[in-house]
Amino acid sequence: MGKIPKRLRRAFAISSVLFLGVLAVSPVKDLLQEWKQSRRDYVRFAETRPDTKQLLADFHPGIDQIWIPEMNVTDRCTTCHQGIHQASLLDVSVPQPFRAHTPMPHQVEKWGCVVCHRGQGLATEVREAHETTLAWEQPLLPVRYIQASCGVCHRGTLPETPQLDVGRELLVKLNCAGCHRLEGITRPAMLGPDLTSVGSKASRAWFYKWLKEPRTITDSNGNTTVDGVENEEEPRMPQFRLNEKELRALSAYLSSLRTGPAETAKLDPRVVAALERKPDTVDQGEVRFRQMFCTTCHSVAVTRAGETKLIGGEIGPELTKVGSKVNPDWLLAWLRNPQASMPHSQMPRYGWSDEDLYKVTRYILSKLTDPDLMSDVPRLEGPAQEEIQLGQRLFLEKGCASCHFVKGVSPQADFGPNLSNLGSKTLSQLEFSKAKIPRTLIAYIQAKITDPVSVNPAARMPQYQLAPRHLEALTTALLSMTGGPSSSGLAKLVVPAPKPGFHPAGAFGEVYERYKCYVCHRFNGYGGTLAPDLSYEGSRAQRSWLVAFLKNPQTLRPTLTLRMPQFNMTDAEAATLADYLAMVTQSPAVNLGSVTSKDLTPEAARLGKQLYEVKYQCRSCHTIGSSGGYVGPNLTNVGNWMNAAWIEEWLRDPQGLVPGTIEPRRTLPEQEVTALAAYLMTLRQGGAAKPAAPGAGSAR
Amino acid sequence: MKRRHLSLLVALALTALATSCQQKTIAAKPDPLSRAYDVESDWNDPQKQIPLNYQQAQGKRVFYTYCVWCHADSSPAGPSNRSNLTPTPPLANDGATFNPLSDEFVRNTITLGGSAMGKSAMMPPWGRTLKPDEVQAVIVFMRAIAQPSYQPPARPGPQYSVK
Repeated sequence: MGKIPKRLRRAFAISSVLFLGVLAVSPVKDLLQEWKQSRRDYVRFAETRPDTKQLLADFHPGIDQIWIPEMNVTDRCTTCHQGIHQASLLDVSVPQPFRAHTPMPHQVEKWGCVVCHRGQGLATEVREAHETTLAWEQPLLPVRYIQASCGVCHRGTLPETPQLDVGRELLVKLNCAGCHRLEGITRPAMLGPDLTSVGSKASRAWFYKWLKEPRTITDSNGNTTVDGVENEEEPRMPQFRLNEKELRALSAYLSSLRTGPAETAKLDPRVVAALERKPDTVDQGEVRFRQMFCTTCHSVAVTRAGETKLIGGEIGPELTKVGSKVNPDWLLAWLRNPQASMPHSQMPRYGWSDEDLYKVTRYILSKLTDPDLMSDVPRLEGPAQEEIQLGQRLFLEKGCASCHFVKGVSPQADFGPNLSNLGSKTLSQLEFSKAKIPRTLIAYIQAKITDPVSVNPAARMPQYQLAPRHLEALTTALLSMTGGPSSSGLAKLVVPAPKPGFHPAGAFGEVYERYKCYVCHRFNGYGGTLAPDLSYEGSRAQRSWLVAFLKNPQTLRPTLTLRMPQFNMTDAEAATLADYLAMVTQSPAVNLGSVTSKDLTPEAARLGKQLYEVKYQCRSCHTIGSSGGYVGPNLTNVGNWMNAAWIEEWLRDPQGLVPGTIEPRRTLPEQEVTALAAYLMTLRQGGAAKPAAPGAGSAR
Repeated sequence: MKRRHLSLLVALALTALATSCQQKTIAAKPDPLSRAYDVESDWNDPQKQIPLNYQQAQGKRVFYTYCVWCHADSSPAGPSNRSNLTPTPPLANDGATFNPLSDEFVRNTITLGGSAMGKSAMMPPWGRTLKPDEVQAVIVFMRAIAQPSYQPPARPGPQYSVK
């Protein structure tokens, strides 16, 4: 070997050192990995805690992972989130990532983390685990929206997920299913009103105003108010961005729709003649309107002490200015038989006398009005033929036909995009256009709802102005639609939504359908929640009381502002309902024959009175006469109302009879149960039970 | 030729170093309330939002179903039943009353009722209506909304010194 030049020797030395340096990069990098640092931090942190020994006993170096092959779960989150199981680290003062998980129904070892929190379970870097990166797309779900993950498997309502349930209700209420396909939400038979003969209901000017701004009716101070009154509820009809030409065309088209059957409801001319001149007809109409409790379903703006508030329920539309909207003939026909002009209407068919009907319509048409309602509508001539044709085309193009039925007009199928797997969309699948919003799925969904044009200039979607908590709830519900769980192991565990139904036939079915009992009351899990569940009403209430109540409903809970409307039922109808309820809606836990008058002795009643007043202090929640609390129902007349056997079983196990009732379940000895029932059965208003209405059959 | 090799080597080494030292981009700090399962507005100051974790949120739900009638100034049905009762029940956020009481005592009062703990018999026992988890959740919720705020009792000192 020849002599190696000095220069080469030096170059070789330098390159060797460099090479060594390069080789060292990898182990150093490995040592400085985030998860390793985090684990060193944890040891240091554990040493500052009082229970160091316990904490370090559970610690081992290396990557921690939860591996559940059947659910396709490999979650390494616990590598950094070391303290997740340590009860002593639950406090807020413990810094993340070491804090323990708050107690919850699903255990981390059995479910992993990603199933609920999303993100990347396999990643070992903080950013890759939590955010969208080039290779790992699914970001962590903010805890604010975490209920979306519950909804992936739990398709029904859960007490633990109020936000998700509100969101799903909003999806239904806002009629999203009209245009979009949604997971778990089926398209109902009716979304918006049937418009087949809407031209005979309201004027072209009203259509123009409504289409321009369905949510706001601006007052003289320029305050924008929702549906007549400041209110955070979103009206059912959303705002479409229509220009002047489109407004004119659509209003022309709608006012030309008079093809439906001409409804007529003639009043007895003698009644009209007698009442027409009377000065107090309108006032009497108002009294009747209140007595019938129309406000249980419809709200009306009331101004008290300078403050305008909406009073009433949300089942039907708000009525403050309805007198300026509807055509008198239409109103009369509607009140007589709502289903004749709108077959799917939830409005009951009241039993009207001609006098009442005339008085109430006069009240609606003269008091529930606003002379300035159409003041900002331009002069609209009779609709021109080309306007009507353009309106008809727009009716389809704008998607009106997706919610509103018009005879002879078939809607476009799947008008809006399918949203049933929106929750699992990755950023690369979303079009943000030039919107100045964070590039996240949540920001995208919220922008799309509140300002659709910002993310898609060609959007046909209407614009919604939702209260922040409603927007969050809606986002949660949409995020829960991921097209099903991510693995077959999880898919087996999906809890489907119960599909109850209660469609009685026969005479009862007819009355039940006529008065739409199910809109407010629940029967065997089917129906509304506004009013008491009637699944076991026959065990609870005495038949004579039921008949009297149906004829003239009075409230049992004085704090409630919404009450059962007076339907003006006939005696035969009330008897049919009471018979059916008494016969069919019986609880297996209550044996009506088990308590006889022999058990309810005066001595027992005396003991019961003492228990009621002193030992159990029932009066803190229940009222008798004029004293007591108002959490529970008023018991002044309970002896005429309830069955003794029901009271006894109720005292033993209230939640067994009505799940979720707030009456506390106590441990009462049998003797005290009988004594309390005996005492309660002595509480009768006006002495003995009211005689049943004539024709209603005999009381049991 | 050799020089070129050398420079190539140096360049390679530098690139390797550079990539290993690459700065991580820092994520924007999220809204603290976005980390909360639910929020409850401060009863004394509605502008202030108190973040709640899962357990506290469950407590909120149970509270607003069963307890709100007598332990708050308004109820879902409107007026509160509180003014109706003597002695007047404390508000759930009354830290002055509840903070000195241990979790154990509050739990027993809820499950066994007021009369069992020498308090008003108007407080019914909830032990057979609510599950132990739900009772615990209510306590945690009350602690979260307490005014003045609740400080958990100091932990017992370390049994073994670290060194």
